Amino acid sequence: MQPLAPRPQLTLLLANSVLDRLERLRIRAVGRRTSRSRGEHLSGKGGTSTEFCDYRDYVAGDDTRFVDWNIFARLHRPYLKQFHKEEERHVVLLIDASASMKFEGKLNLGKQLAAAFGVMGLLNNERVSVYASHQVNGAPERLPPCRGRGNLRTVFQFIESIDGRGDAPLDHATEQLLRRHSGRGVCVILSDFLTFGDLKRSFNLLFSAGLEPFGIQILSPREIDPDLASDLRLVDSETQETLDISSSGDLMNLYQEYRQGLEKELALLCRRRAGQFLSVSSEVPVETVLFDQLRRQGWLE
Amino acid sequence: MNWGGFHALSHLWLASLLAPLVLFYFLKLKRPRAEVPSLLLWRQVLQDQRVNSPFQKFKRNLLLFLQILLLLLLVLAALQPFWRGGPGRQRRLPVLIDCSASMGALDKPGGVSRLDEAKRRVREMIDGLASGQELCLVSFDNAARQRTGFTNNKRLLRDALDQIEVADVPSDLEQALRLVQAMGRSEPFDDALLFSDGNFPPRVNFDLSFKLNYQRLTPAGPNLGITALSAQRATSGGWDVFVQIEGSPEAEGNASVELLQNGTTLGSERITLARGHAQRMAFQIKGDRAAALRVKLTPDGFDSLAADNTAYLDLPESHPLRVFIPKSMVSYRLALQGLAGIELFPQDSGDEASGAFDLVISDRAQDLSLKARTRLSVGFIPADLQRFVETGTNASAVVDWRRNADVLQHVELSDLVVLNQPRFKANAGEGDLENLGYEVLVHGQRGPLLVRKQENDATRFALLFHTDQSTLPYRVGFPIFVANVVQLALQQAGLAEANASRTGVLTPVALVPRHRYDIQAPEQKLEPVTADERGILSGVRASRVGYYSISENGAAPLQVGASLLSPTETGLAGVEQIQFNEHLQVAVAAAPVKTDRLLWPPLLLLALGVLTTEWWFFQKKPGGWK
Repeated sequence: MQPLAPRPQLTLLLANSVLDRLERLRIRAVGRRTSRSRGEHLSGKGGTSTEFCDYRDYVAGDDTRFVDWNIFARLHRPYLKQFHKEEERHVVLLIDASASMKFEGKLNLGKQLAAAFGVMGLLNNERVSVYASHQVNGAPERLPPCRGRGNLRTVFQFIESIDGRGDAPLDHATEQLLRRHSGRGVCVILSDFLTFGDLKRSFNLLFSAGLEPFGIQILSPREIDPDLASDLRLVDSETQETLDISSSGDLMNLYQEYRQGLEKELALLCRRRAGQFLSVSSEVPVETVLFDQLRRQGWLE
Repeated sequence: MNWGGFHALSHLWLASLLAPLVLFYFLKLKRPRAEVPSLLLWRQVLQDQRVNSPFQKFKRNLLLFLQILLLLLLVLAALQPFWRGGPGRQRRLPVLIDCSASMGALDKPGGVSRLDEAKRRVREMIDGLASGQELCLVSFDNAARQRTGFTNNKRLLRDALDQIEVADVPSDLEQALRLVQAMGRSEPFDDALLFSDGNFPPRVNFDLSFKLNYQRLTPAGPNLGITALSAQRATSGGWDVFVQIEGSPEAEGNASVELLQNGTTLGSERITLARGHAQRMAFQIKGDRAAALRVKLTPDGFDSLAADNTAYLDLPESHPLRVFIPKSMVSYRLALQGLAGIELFPQDSGDEASGAFDLVISDRAQDLSLKARTRLSVGFIPADLQRFVETGTNASAVVDWRRNADVLQHVELSDLVVLNQPRFKANAGEGDLENLGYEVLVHGQRGPLLVRKQENDATRFALLFHTDQSTLPYRVGFPIFVANVVQLALQQAGLAEANASRTGVLTPVALVPRHRYDIQAPEQKLEPVTADERGILSGVRASRVGYYSISENGAAPLQVGASLLSPTETGLAGVEQIQFNEHLQVAVAAAPVKTDRLLWPPLLLLALGVLTTEWWFFQKKPGGWK
């Protein structure tokens, strides 16, 4: 008996073992925002799924097909059975592919996480769309919403093809995304969130469009703990603007203070809009992020 | 009150370098470029009020401030600031440094000598010498020596200072002051500085014409030393050696005294010396041969001065005193018959004597050519005196005589009558005799009766009248006079007593005339010397205690010892006040000399420190200023 040939790697972004584990996970949305299209997500409202939800009194005009005749036989009063409504949910993946993400594997981790979220969405019959923002003046690259296991390769190919360039701020990318997107669900934003734009407005737009903002901030180790040995002229990778700084202990402390302040602000922005936020280092393996950090924080179930 | 100033204020223009420094700092500041994903956080950080506080701004421009500080320190150093030490600065200042034996005394076991202490203080002065100030170094022991002229050259002054060494001789302040005064005639000055332990006579015969700052050094520790060493011929033969031990005022305790000959101990004694007291002891040496003795003092406790712990004594070979008296001078020959240890020539057997004598007494001028160290001419006027003195015909009595003269001790001449009295010629006087080196010991009514002349290692007496024509042979004083002459002859021949030679000038040594010798002084280089036409080697400086070896072409050397033997040097006493002529007194200065303190060396050091800090901070220290 010949040994089984090794299973071909589906994507360079994620190992097959990771994909196997992702099959058993799904995104746990806080607000359960779904589209009216029928799907596999139970809506908060009553629906026509097979899953029983509750009883209520019959009122004139109700569909008599939902009257529970067994109870009517015992109580001689009509009660209407209610069922959960299974609606379709969108999983929008917004990848910040500007030049700032090219540092120390930030974009790679972002693409890996995007692929993982895409896999979870497709395998749970959700509509997955992917956006990658590059230039200020241009629209983000877009993978239209797709659904089902059959689109896995499409999603992988799109995400793999994303490269880091441009100077698109995140707020601009969000606006561009909402111009072309319709449908409710979650919007997973994979970015370093180091943007001068108005993130609050962007998050409000997402929320009002029915997308729960799920922010994952990916920072490189040097961004988390910069090593400044002397006087430096810092150059912005996107704008090429410069800034002179002199190393000092107080400066570093202030930097950490502001970095942590940004994290807290982003987390607050997300939570107030039924979203979630997580800040990770680009040097952390994607498996750790997925199966440890995200699971422990309740992003996945 | 003037606290200080700058010696080179003209260098202030260097401060203008601040402008290019600041300019170049901002123009040339080249920071390494570091690309970062975003400047978002950095901009927020730099806009923070805490970052923009004055202190933070200062830290951001720390390099500039350090460079400005460095330049300011260098400019300040170039201005040569000084902190004024004394009330006034002297342009010229002679510095007298005592380097006599007592300056070699240590203050404590393993401590520094007084001379080292003086040199340290002078070196400080040299280091603080400002431009326009000149020092002149003069060292003195028993002789003064100008080490440098008035100069501002610090290297020259330091070299000269290093060359000053302790000489094992007493000090002579007067000579040094006269030398300094002579210097002042060509290069005037107002003040002079004296560094000494004060071990010199409190009264100095000198007209002080300048202000003397007497800096007395701190007293040395206790000291014991040999202050006298002599020997006398013992009546039983051999020698009695006498040693005297004294100490400084605070010195007391036990010590061992050892008498050695060629490394062999001839005798030793333990002594206990109380404060302010002296100890005398005697050793008996047998034998009549010449001997070189060394006395070694070993105190039990700390002894601050080593030079006075050893003394040397050369004993001559003993022999009967060879005396020549013509047979015609019966009275003298009879007077000598009662004295022991005398060999009289010509002998009664009639043999004429030849060779050298120890004493010649004669009334014949030709006999004075006989070789002898003591000679007494009787009854004629020596040739060199005949220009001033002549023999008269009248009788004369003695007017006065030097009663303390060795030759006249216990001799009563008050009723002496001389028939052919010597008298001064017209326009001649005692001064003329003194100019010839004569000393009048007995004065007659019109001229000298007895004169003495010292001729190098010989002594000549001249009785200008003949004793046969006077009442002297009938007086009690005559045999005493003859005995005194014999005693002097014994001393001159070294047969009666021997004294240890002191340092300063080496005892004259009789050698081959005009021969060249090499003399090796203790701890010094070999030096050539030449004996004079009489074969006497004299005038050799002996500044160190020890044996001086005199040799000729590698022959066995003749050794002559020199010892300190100075109660004042051993006593280490320091005078509080020096008394000069005309009731002028100079007391010990109340405070040490305050010289202008130059501030540029510490400023330069500070600048170096700033530079090092800058280098370390910006080049070496990882992570900057935490």
